[in-house]
Amino acid sequence: MTGSSKGLSDFVAEAAEILDSLNRDLAILDRSVGRRLQPDLLNGIFRSAHSLKGLASMFGEQRIAQLAHGMEDLLDRLRLGRLEMTDEVVDALIESLDTFQVVLAETGRGDRSEQASRRTEAACERLADFVDTAPLEHEDALDLLELDTQVRDVLTEYEEHRLRQNLREGMEVWKVRAVFDLSDFDRGLARLNANLKTIGEVISTLPSADPGDGTGIAFDIIFASRVSQRKLRSTLSNMPASFQPLFQARTSAPSSDQRQGPAPPAAAAELRLAFPKPVPEEPPRPAVPLDADSVRRALTQTVRVDIGRLDSLMDAVGELLLIKANVARLADEARQPGKPSPGKLWGHQLYRESQLLERKLDDLQKGILEVRMVPLGQILDKLAGAVRRIARESEKEVDFTMRGGEVEVDKLIVEALSDPLMHLVRNAVDHGIESVEERQRRGKRPRALVSVSATQRGNQVVIDVSDDGRGLDDERIRQVAVRTGIVGSAQAAQLSSRELHSLIFLPGFSTANRVSELSGRGVGLDVVKTNISRLSGMIDIHSEAGKGATFTITLPETLAIVRALVVSVSGRVYAVPLNAVSEIASITEKDVRTVERREVIALRGKTIPLARLARLFQHPEKPLSRQFLLVVGLAHQRLALAVDDLLGQQDVVVKPLRGRLRHTSGIAGATDLGDRKPVLVLDPGAIIEEVVNPERRPELV
Amino acid sequence: MLEQFFYHPDEEVAGLFRPATEGDPATLASAEEESAIEYLAFLLEGECYAVPISEIREIVRVPPLTEIPRSPKNLLGVMKIRGEVLPVYDVKVKLKLAHERAGIAGPDAELEGIPSSSRILIVRDPDGDVGILVDEVREVIRLKPSTIEPLAPGIGGGDYLLGLAHLGSELVILLDVHKALL
Repeated sequence: MTGSSKGLSDFVAEAAEILDSLNRDLAILDRSVGRRLQPDLLNGIFRSAHSLKGLASMFGEQRIAQLAHGMEDLLDRLRLGRLEMTDEVVDALIESLDTFQVVLAETGRGDRSEQASRRTEAACERLADFVDTAPLEHEDALDLLELDTQVRDVLTEYEEHRLRQNLREGMEVWKVRAVFDLSDFDRGLARLNANLKTIGEVISTLPSADPGDGTGIAFDIIFASRVSQRKLRSTLSNMPASFQPLFQARTSAPSSDQRQGPAPPAAAAELRLAFPKPVPEEPPRPAVPLDADSVRRALTQTVRVDIGRLDSLMDAVGELLLIKANVARLADEARQPGKPSPGKLWGHQLYRESQLLERKLDDLQKGILEVRMVPLGQILDKLAGAVRRIARESEKEVDFTMRGGEVEVDKLIVEALSDPLMHLVRNAVDHGIESVEERQRRGKRPRALVSVSATQRGNQVVIDVSDDGRGLDDERIRQVAVRTGIVGSAQAAQLSSRELHSLIFLPGFSTANRVSELSGRGVGLDVVKTNISRLSGMIDIHSEAGKGATFTITLPETLAIVRALVVSVSGRVYAVPLNAVSEIASITEKDVRTVERREVIALRGKTIPLARLARLFQHPEKPLSRQFLLVVGLAHQRLALAVDDLLGQQDVVVKPLRGRLRHTSGIAGATDLGDRKPVLVLDPGAIIEEVVNPERRPELV
Repeated sequence: MLEQFFYHPDEEVAGLFRPATEGDPATLASAEEESAIEYLAFLLEGECYAVPISEIREIVRVPPLTEIPRSPKNLLGVMKIRGEVLPVYDVKVKLKLAHERAGIAGPDAELEGIPSSSRILIVRDPDGDVGILVDEVREVIRLKPSTIEPLAPGIGGGDYLLGLAHLGSELVILLDVHKALL
């Protein structure tokens, strides 16, 4: 069926790009339901479906080709105004997009499951249902034009075909009438055509049916173009020509249009919504669970790169080559037989080259990292669609705003963020946001607000997911925590609001039975937290009962480079990601106390657990008068990690441990500090888990 | 291999020992249609082991290793090779040639404690390539499968030893290196 595996991966990459563009367009479409549709948008979606169909057919992917064909049919009817754009139609289109993702992921893996095939069929049927209500059989696009029968008779078959084609593609069709002098009409006509050709397609030039006043010779030019009326007017400004639109739009039914006054004559520019034939009332087919997001991750290991970035990389390489040449020359000089040993000047030159080398390599590295970055906007668009869908399903009224789509983050992070963000947003709408009645009772705006915003702060990215719903109920959290044994009742009474809120990330809470127990937050937040930790990120929550809640996710901009604190423990060197460290302190032995035989330390009025890294890692411990503490974690779970010495701070490239080593507990990866030996990078999250929740023993490698 | 040119009293006892060397007429007759497989022979505590050469990615000198805290007994540590970080194992522990792994990683490491002929064999593995520490690398030998003797009961092994072969007077132990890492 498919060719070599290279052919397959090319197909998957190309198809994934088309799906990306479809995703963007459908997000815009989703937002514009009920408003005036831009024909360009529908055409863009049509073209994507069309390209996908062609690509899939070429590779023998019948399922995708078929569904794409179904999409084309639906879009055709939408474009021609035969079908009204409703939420249900958009839902069907989005469902098709999700189905494409699933099937494409399968294809990429070489699988072919029954489930995916059935899902494709279901999606096709759903599209077909809409198409069936808007038949096109006897319709000829040309009938939509105001053309005299005489003119139509005279058009050649090719010209008719071009006309139909242009209409299909959503171009506007005009009749340009020009009157020339008998003496130079050929030149004049040629000039006119040349001008028109720059902004569209001249379909046919005919002697005009209306000869005018007889002093000149008149022509009617049938012309198709996408440009605005104003542009056409300016192009024709020095010509003896006038124009009128030929595409006759249908009259509209919805009252909103009538409020705007009589439909303007150049209605060809807009697609009015036709009065639809009754759409069947049946509910949409039961949705197959949307696992498209987790499936998407399997899809592409490719990124789209701005050529400008590649150019700067090439520049950096070019400069490196120059440096290399210089170094080679210096080395050669030193090797000359008979020459005295190299002097200070030579030393200076070498030093200078090494400085340049360092700078240029730095540039190169930064450049390569940049290539991996993609904007967050993609995920934010999907979230918008999800919020609308979930709100509709749960019959709540929710507005969604998003900010910071242009913030760029490493591609791997973006892919991995998709699930957790979806989860948070779903939680917010499902559980955080009250019904319209309840909101009105509480004097809140009936339409709730969910917002996601991303900002760049130094080399970190902060993403806030907020809602103005119920917020967290401290009392309920206290009760659940006591009931599930996470804290004793005395302890629970003492916990502050902030500390209570951080409890909801514990796995114990996700097993709490009913959602209403937590009054506002659903299940699975520990999964979200785990996912975020895997990205070396942190998640926190702020909430005010009755007013709403905000989740704040802090992430390093790139997984690849991490700012690390280099420490030594028992003679071994480790790197600790700085974004996990909230403070550093130095202590002596007498500052250490114990509670139930577990070591603790008092820091600025708070007592937190202490772990000696040497002991944890089973290294021989050195008795030291003074030790350094790195405080890691946040709010509820903080830990002071004792190390022997602080060696400095450095930006390092972390390589995760792979293969047999991937379950190494407490270690996130290895890096290079310039020595030939790799240096291990700690996983503070895992260490905190191990020390603070000792029931969960780490699996040894 | 020079072995084949020397007098081997064992060869007179046909049927018990079958020399593995290809040029030997005694074996050629019985094993003509088979094609030989190439193995890399190396030494561990004086014993000669061999692994199919197709499994070996490369052979390197022993670099400084970084130990992994709380790692299994046979994991010596990790090494860096051309930007890649690979685990390095000491198979002597599993083969009961040593009680504990060599102390060549960590701050108390004594690289002088191992023979200067020590090398690391980088072995291909679907779960990620690994390094194996060996005392000395010998040569590439060619063995026909029919000349490989299965292990008799009582000659240790478990499932990580695949058989014995004879290189003249020398005993070669065929190793399943992946099983020896477990």
